[in-house]
Amino acid sequence: MSVSIDIDNVVKKYADATVINGLSLKIHPSEFFTLLGPSGCGKTTLLRMIIGFNSIEGGTIKVDDKVINDIPVNKRNMGMVFQNYAIFPHMSVFDNVAFGLRQRHVPQAEIEKSVAEILDVVKIGHLKDRMPTQLSGGQQQRVALARAIVIHPQVLLMDEPLSNLDAKLRVEMRNAIKNIQQQVGITTVYVTHDQEEALAVSDRIAVMHDGVIQQVGSPQYIYQRPANRFVSTFIGLSNILKGTIRKNGAGFMLSLGKYQVPMQTLDAAAVAKYGGSGDVPVTVAVRPEEFTVHMDGEGLDAVVNYSVFLGISTHYFLTMADGQEVEVITPSDVGRIIPNNTPVKLRVEADRINVFTDDGEKSLIIQTEDIDRNRTGGDDA
Amino acid sequence: MKKPNIWTVFTLVILCFFLLFVVYPLFLIMYQSVVDPETHALTFDYFTKFFGRKFYWSTLVNSFKVTICATLLAAIIGLPMAYVLRSYKIPFSKYVNILIVISYLSPPFIGAYAWIQLLGRNGFITQLINSIFGVKFGGIYGFAGIVLVFSLQSFPLIYMYVSGALKNLDSSLNEAAESLGCNAFQRVTRIILPLVMPSLLAGSLLVFMRVFSDFGTPMLIGEGFKTFPVLIYTQFMGEVSTDDHFAAALCVIVVVITLFLFFLQRMMAKHYSYAMTALKPMQPVQAKGSQKLFAYLFVYGVAFIAMLPQLTVIFTSFLETVGGAVYTGNFSLMNYENTLFSKDNISIFNTYAFGLCAICIVVVLGILISYLTARKPSLLTNILDTLTMFPYIIPGSVLGIALLSGFNSGILVLSGTALIIIISLTIRRMPYTIRSSTAIISQISPSVEEAAVSLGASEFKSFRKVMVPMMLPGVLAGAIMSWITLISELSSSIILYTSSTSTLTVAIYAEVIRSNFGNAAAYSTILTLTSIVSLLVFFRLTHNEDVSV
Repeated sequence: MSVSIDIDNVVKKYADATVINGLSLKIHPSEFFTLLGPSGCGKTTLLRMIIGFNSIEGGTIKVDDKVINDIPVNKRNMGMVFQNYAIFPHMSVFDNVAFGLRQRHVPQAEIEKSVAEILDVVKIGHLKDRMPTQLSGGQQQRVALARAIVIHPQVLLMDEPLSNLDAKLRVEMRNAIKNIQQQVGITTVYVTHDQEEALAVSDRIAVMHDGVIQQVGSPQYIYQRPANRFVSTFIGLSNILKGTIRKNGAGFMLSLGKYQVPMQTLDAAAVAKYGGSGDVPVTVAVRPEEFTVHMDGEGLDAVVNYSVFLGISTHYFLTMADGQEVEVITPSDVGRIIPNNTPVKLRVEADRINVFTDDGEKSLIIQTEDIDRNRTGGDDA
Repeated sequence: MKKPNIWTVFTLVILCFFLLFVVYPLFLIMYQSVVDPETHALTFDYFTKFFGRKFYWSTLVNSFKVTICATLLAAIIGLPMAYVLRSYKIPFSKYVNILIVISYLSPPFIGAYAWIQLLGRNGFITQLINSIFGVKFGGIYGFAGIVLVFSLQSFPLIYMYVSGALKNLDSSLNEAAESLGCNAFQRVTRIILPLVMPSLLAGSLLVFMRVFSDFGTPMLIGEGFKTFPVLIYTQFMGEVSTDDHFAAALCVIVVVITLFLFFLQRMMAKHYSYAMTALKPMQPVQAKGSQKLFAYLFVYGVAFIAMLPQLTVIFTSFLETVGGAVYTGNFSLMNYENTLFSKDNISIFNTYAFGLCAICIVVVLGILISYLTARKPSLLTNILDTLTMFPYIIPGSVLGIALLSGFNSGILVLSGTALIIIISLTIRRMPYTIRSSTAIISQISPSVEEAAVSLGASEFKSFRKVMVPMMLPGVLAGAIMSWITLISELSSSIILYTSSTSTLTVAIYAEVIRSNFGNAAAYSTILTLTSIVSLLVFFRLTHNEDVSV
């Protein structure tokens, strides 16, 4: 019953400005798929093209191999949850949820049954007769969700549904949304600019920037093996360093100044295609937890500026010999916080760090198969 | 994806309505103003005739004198009134507010005739002054009388605009200024006045245009002092030497002036406009000592003087008269017997019927037009937006003359029908309804409609089932205010009416002209009571003492 969505080479133009130019994407049946990117990257535009509020100036969008470009919104059978919920303020909770069913001329008895069921799923059955003004933000959110899924849409679309909630409710609601989505098994496209939210709820994430998809993959893959510098800094935090690589037996040797790191994860073919032989300049992305701090031995010279103790981990803010500032996260050991102004050596975990071409556009790491929690096989990126 | 849909059809139908009843008649007026009736040749004789003779152009000068004085006085009374009522705790301030609104809602010429009763040649106060001081005060006619009536009639508008702006002024602005070293006087001049300036200007323009185009007041109390609208009326409707083409030229002149003022105000409003929403509005404080005395005296004094014409009219409506003009000194209900219960009386019924018809059309068209222009922007709806705003700057008498010229003969003859009066009322009120409806729409998020469409409703159905119900409470509240202004409309009805389509205001005017003050008072009282009841319904519906007109 779940459908796939096939976005093929779509184009969106506003007057003269082209916002999306030839974007392609495949969304699997019953998948929780997230469009993630900074504001203005075109993610909401794409979502509104899928539901039909935005026209499509080129390419096609298919739902289960049926082109939907010219089907009007009210015939597409897609449910949408809006950023501001868009609850009809003049209707009770029941009437809000029943609106789509009445539109479909469902018999009254069946409407009562379906609405009661769905309100139980979203856990607001007791609020059936309330008016929207009497509901909290989280409750309104649940009404919006119930209203969108009670019509058994082929696709559920959500446009930053949690951005109007406070932090605590946001975590609670994102778990609720994830659970309900799994329960209903509906193909879902979710838009957000909050990377933590995306990592928490998604089966797969498409990271967008300037109307272009940067990478598609599972949350874990995108975090651990970002496709380029933008993804590595937008998802989580990365310290960006400059270095060079050189062939070293079967693998490569990464030089960060005087500090030499043997690397086994680099893709020889990609390196050859990009830089040939000899010293190849590269951009290195090191996440704070991929550094280790040592008092002596080899490593990058750095001085501790200050530290923040957060219980599970300790964050160090350091300045390297060349003046660049870096952030390091280490597990908190008993009684061992390094005092400020202490000179230290930073080493990297070679297997975990990412190496990009010098311009940061392309990863030089061997591309392994994506780890998908729900199904086997790779993705289509 | 462009195909003719239901919205395009609506837009075109409404456009045709406005082309037929606004654009065509106004073009006809413009055409008549520059064409010789016999030779059909282009001529500017009418304009040179006007500017060539002092008898004519002095009316324009008079109008400007009266209007500027009245607008300034209205601002001088209205501005402190709003400020005092917002900043000090005044007992019964809620009722003072209602009284001010009521005094504004009655037609200005009723004020004129009431003041004649008080300060006219044989006025009550005049006689009192003359007997006490032994002087021969001739009553206030002419310039002073007109300015008195207009100022008192217009200050409520300034009051309402400024009061609305003060409500949106966050008290933290005042506190910030105080912490930065401003004293009370400096806070008013440097913080509050600049912030309410856009509203003051908007209110002043409205006052200016109302006063400039009102003809009932100068007609009654002006005597020798002739203003421009009086000239237009006499040239078009007068008993001697009427000249339609000359009247048309006068209409063109007055439209050019109001158009200029309109754009001037727009420019100024753009220059100073601030987006304000008060999280913590100003709280009225308890006044102390002489401050208290002064504040109370001022507020109650102004409210009393503003209500005086209404009280006079209601009082005199219960006095027995001989021949309508001479009071016997006894109380009686004879004025009501002669008006309310007379057999041939149709004006009360007409007032209600025309008003209701017009209000229904205004509400339906207003919702549609504001929705089209706000939510379906296109070249056509842009044209519609401009066109429907146009009547805002057309004085009522000009619209009346234009409609009468346009539909007096030819294929579509409407003159003398009820329809033409309903159409003129509709057109006159449309811009106000559209503006308030647009404001209501702008507060409804587009995603509410999108939600309905995504759930399977067609665009028109989502408009009907979601937008209209959400807009309706606000629009209905606006409709009540429109209703009150429609039933007190005179300037276009006086031109369009015939004996069978006479309305209350026309009847009052006619009775005053005939010096039948008793009947006029009875009619006025009926009109005032209707306004008050409508206003109370409005307050009940909106739970709000703030009126926007």
